[in-house]
Amino acid sequence: MNAMRDMHIPALQIEGLKKSFGKAEIINGIDLSIGKSERHAIIGPNGAGKSTLFNLITGRFPATSGKISLHGRDLAGMAPYQINRLGLSRSFQITNIFPKMTVFENLRCALLWSKGYRYSFWHLVSKASDLTEGAEAILEQINLTSRRDLPAGVLSYAEQRALEIGITIGGGADVIMLDEPTAGMSNTETDYIVELIRKVTEGKTLIVVEHDMGVVFGLADRISVLVYGTIIATGRPEEVRGNPKVQEAYLGAALEAEH
Amino acid sequence: MTDQQITTDPAKPAQRMRAGGTTVTLMPWILAGLVLLVLPFIFQSNSALTIMNKMSITIIFALAYNMLLGQGGMLSFGHAVYMGVGGFACVHIMNASEFFSMLPLPLLPIFGGLFGMGLAMIVGSFSTRKAGTVFAMISLGVGELIAACSLIFVAFFGGEEGVSGDRTYALPLFGIEFLRQIEVYYLVAFWLMLSAILMFLFSRTPIGRMANAVRDNPERAEFLGYSARWVRFYSFTASGFFAGIAGAMFAINYEILTEENLNLVTSGTILLVTFLGGVGFFFGPIIGAVVFTLVQTVLSLQTDLWAIYAGALFVATVMFFPGGLAGLIMMHGPAAKLGKLHYLVLPYLKTLIPAGIGILGVCALVEMTFHVRHASIGSNEMTLFWTTFDSHSLMPWAVAVAVSVVAFWIMRRNLPELVAAWHQANGVAKDKL
Amino acid sequence: MDLIFVNLIDGLVTGLLLFMLSAGLTLIFSMMGVLNFAHASFYMLGAYFAYQISLAMGFWMGLLLAPIIVGVLGAGVERYGLRRVHQYGHVPELIFTFGLALLIEEIVQFIWGKNNVAYNAPEILQFSAFAIAGNSIPAYKIFMIFISVSIFIGLLFILTRTRIGMIIQAALSYPRTVEALGHNVPLIFMGVFGVGTGLAGVAGVIAGPTLGTFPGMAFVLGSIVFVTIVIGGLGSLWGALVASLLIGWITTFAASYNIRFEDILLSVGFSMPENMAESPFRDIWNMTTPQIGPILPYLLMIIILVVRPHGLFGKRDA
Repeated sequence: MNAMRDMHIPALQIEGLKKSFGKAEIINGIDLSIGKSERHAIIGPNGAGKSTLFNLITGRFPATSGKISLHGRDLAGMAPYQINRLGLSRSFQITNIFPKMTVFENLRCALLWSKGYRYSFWHLVSKASDLTEGAEAILEQINLTSRRDLPAGVLSYAEQRALEIGITIGGGADVIMLDEPTAGMSNTETDYIVELIRKVTEGKTLIVVEHDMGVVFGLADRISVLVYGTIIATGRPEEVRGNPKVQEAYLGAALEAEH
Repeated sequence: MTDQQITTDPAKPAQRMRAGGTTVTLMPWILAGLVLLVLPFIFQSNSALTIMNKMSITIIFALAYNMLLGQGGMLSFGHAVYMGVGGFACVHIMNASEFFSMLPLPLLPIFGGLFGMGLAMIVGSFSTRKAGTVFAMISLGVGELIAACSLIFVAFFGGEEGVSGDRTYALPLFGIEFLRQIEVYYLVAFWLMLSAILMFLFSRTPIGRMANAVRDNPERAEFLGYSARWVRFYSFTASGFFAGIAGAMFAINYEILTEENLNLVTSGTILLVTFLGGVGFFFGPIIGAVVFTLVQTVLSLQTDLWAIYAGALFVATVMFFPGGLAGLIMMHGPAAKLGKLHYLVLPYLKTLIPAGIGILGVCALVEMTFHVRHASIGSNEMTLFWTTFDSHSLMPWAVAVAVSVVAFWIMRRNLPELVAAWHQANGVAKDKL
Repeated sequence: MDLIFVNLIDGLVTGLLLFMLSAGLTLIFSMMGVLNFAHASFYMLGAYFAYQISLAMGFWMGLLLAPIIVGVLGAGVERYGLRRVHQYGHVPELIFTFGLALLIEEIVQFIWGKNNVAYNAPEILQFSAFAIAGNSIPAYKIFMIFISVSIFIGLLFILTRTRIGMIIQAALSYPRTVEALGHNVPLIFMGVFGVGTGLAGVAGVIAGPTLGTFPGMAFVLGSIVFVTIVIGGLGSLWGALVASLLIGWITTFAASYNIRFEDILLSVGFSMPENMAESPFRDIWNMTTPQIGPILPYLLMIIILVVRPHGLFGKRDA
């Protein structure tokens, strides 16, 4: 349903975005434009406001001021589910799945809306072959076929993260937002998940938040560096890495965080 | 308190294995239908039919209630009003003789359902915005409000004496006028089967699956394109519909509805029934309704104190078996799959029989205490377990105490054996996984 | 005018009584996240225990001992019941207290029977304190006001001036943090539960003689107490006080001023239906304020929950 979109309109456009909690200004004026099929990473030290930015874009929090548009449509005042229906899907920093349902059912739930079932009470999910096939296909993609009928809550951490990515892409959204998909993982697990992300987001717009620059370096087309609620640099990975401002601010803040 | 906190615990295995399988086998339904058909031939007395009708009505209501509590994660303290209003509406239809004489009685429940659903849509429009405590409190408030209104709005609710009607004025269907109790039984049984099947299928539809999803994690569901509020609203509406059908069954069976059908006692009872049966499984409320109705009718004939036993049973269930009776049964699933249930038979006998005797001993003590305290002065004789004795003498007390103590001691001594057998029956299961 | 004054005092007595229950309930809720359905049952136990003690040792010993026994019992329920059910989640917790309320009512019936017991105010307080325009105000009512106000002041003092009060206050807003600071939260929970139910016990001891001591007394007050703390805002002591007084006065005034809806409807411009006995709206025309008085709190609660889910003074959602 998103095929007819104008190539000139960016997938996601953010203008003058601000957010304060009480007196504390967490996001103080962000402008960012992310093109269609671009893989964009937002990096920054802890507490830079990355997750807040995510929550603003996906409608979890209302913005204090500024404008966010998805494929040229203003998202102001929309609830998360409305934004999701426009083709934006997200994962969470803390694993956020349906722990009591089986892996298969988790994925099937993710497919329901986009396959047009909506609030239907006249279809049986077991009889809907498009749901079953779609869920099986994602299972295959995220390599969890062997875990199909286990309750999601008993999976290992890495498996749960993979499932979360599967749920996120399940709805067929063309803008995928992943919040620290590799948080808390070992190096091997991280490599595995990054490869998985690359595979499943082929041809889609990907926005990924990380605080580890290394993770996103091979994945992203462009990188934005967020420090204390402002984007201090945006560009291709090698440009950003070479940027002295980034090195100073990012390394400085990272050092501060470590001490 | 957030919505998430008010769901049942994911760590409980009994709840994890909830009715989620996709294979719908017809066998249990055919079996249930056959049982319903045959039951009146086994239990022919009128009182048995009365109990069975009561059971069927309670089953429909409990299943409707569990659409909220078990499947939608919404705890209602005022669900009686949807059943009640559906029932009151049906009695009024019975009294609208011109319309009623053109309506076959078996169609009446549809109207009960629609009225229950209508009320649920009105209340749900504001109560389902949140789950958790807000929902529970609004349900309590609405329940109390409507129950209190029943004494004010006499035209609809009939005040203290309620409203009554006559089901036999309906259009006869194939010559059946539903004069006899057995005809009513089959009508109720038919609607029981139909509603149970429909409610089961509902849990397998997209909205039914999302009701589970919203119960477990409303936020994630919102990021999948679903409005948690609307999902709750639709579950609530559907639950109201089936509660209304239960109300219609009540109206047909008893031909009278009163304030009692609306009040907190009825709402609380259905919570008790559903939880006793087990909210984690579709068939849980059915077991709950059957057991509760039996306990209520049989026990209340035997003792005045039945409510105290029912209360104690309920509290014990919440404390020790939060999965309810259905959860207890399903705990044996893994052992049954391995064909190792027979390991458990003897240990169960060795612990449960003494436990049963011990409980009866305690009950005897309770009954004797009650007799000593409340029987009129001079009447010291009481009859218990087919024995007549003087409740003021020492002997029966000593016997009851001794029996209880010895029985519980035997149970305790045999308990490790049961635990070992349990591990044996399930332990190998772990290896196979 | 004089009647207003009498009603103000009556409403104040009801309101303060409600407050003694709602204060404990709202404290328990804020700390443990549990709405204790059995709270009013402890109020009933207070009355019955006091009655039993007063038979042997008189009213004043009852006033002293009954709340303590109730509080210990409450702490026991927390320690051996709630704490166990807590692991299953909030719904089973709520259901547990609901079942407990049913069970306590049955047990009270079992021990003391179904009828009112003869629990009376002490003779020393059975005189008329003063009279307003022929309506005498019993001294016992003044005594009830005195007890409730001193408990309120005592509670305020403990909560704002003592160390344990500070911890409890902190736990009202940030329960997790308090636990992280190394306080023995389970013990605090048990204590708050004990004190809360003890307060309900006090209310029962002093309300029993005027409102009657019977097995249904918990049921009568139980849901109103809920309504009170929801209206006031869960977790807010001031909210509980304001809502208690509000409900006390609303119900008292509605009961004593007989305003007929007929008059209201006529004055707004509706015309009386010709055949009143046949009209489906006859009940609306016949309604009076004493009739709808008891349901006003519920109506108020629903309206508040719809427009302001965190209640009048609450900071958190219900």
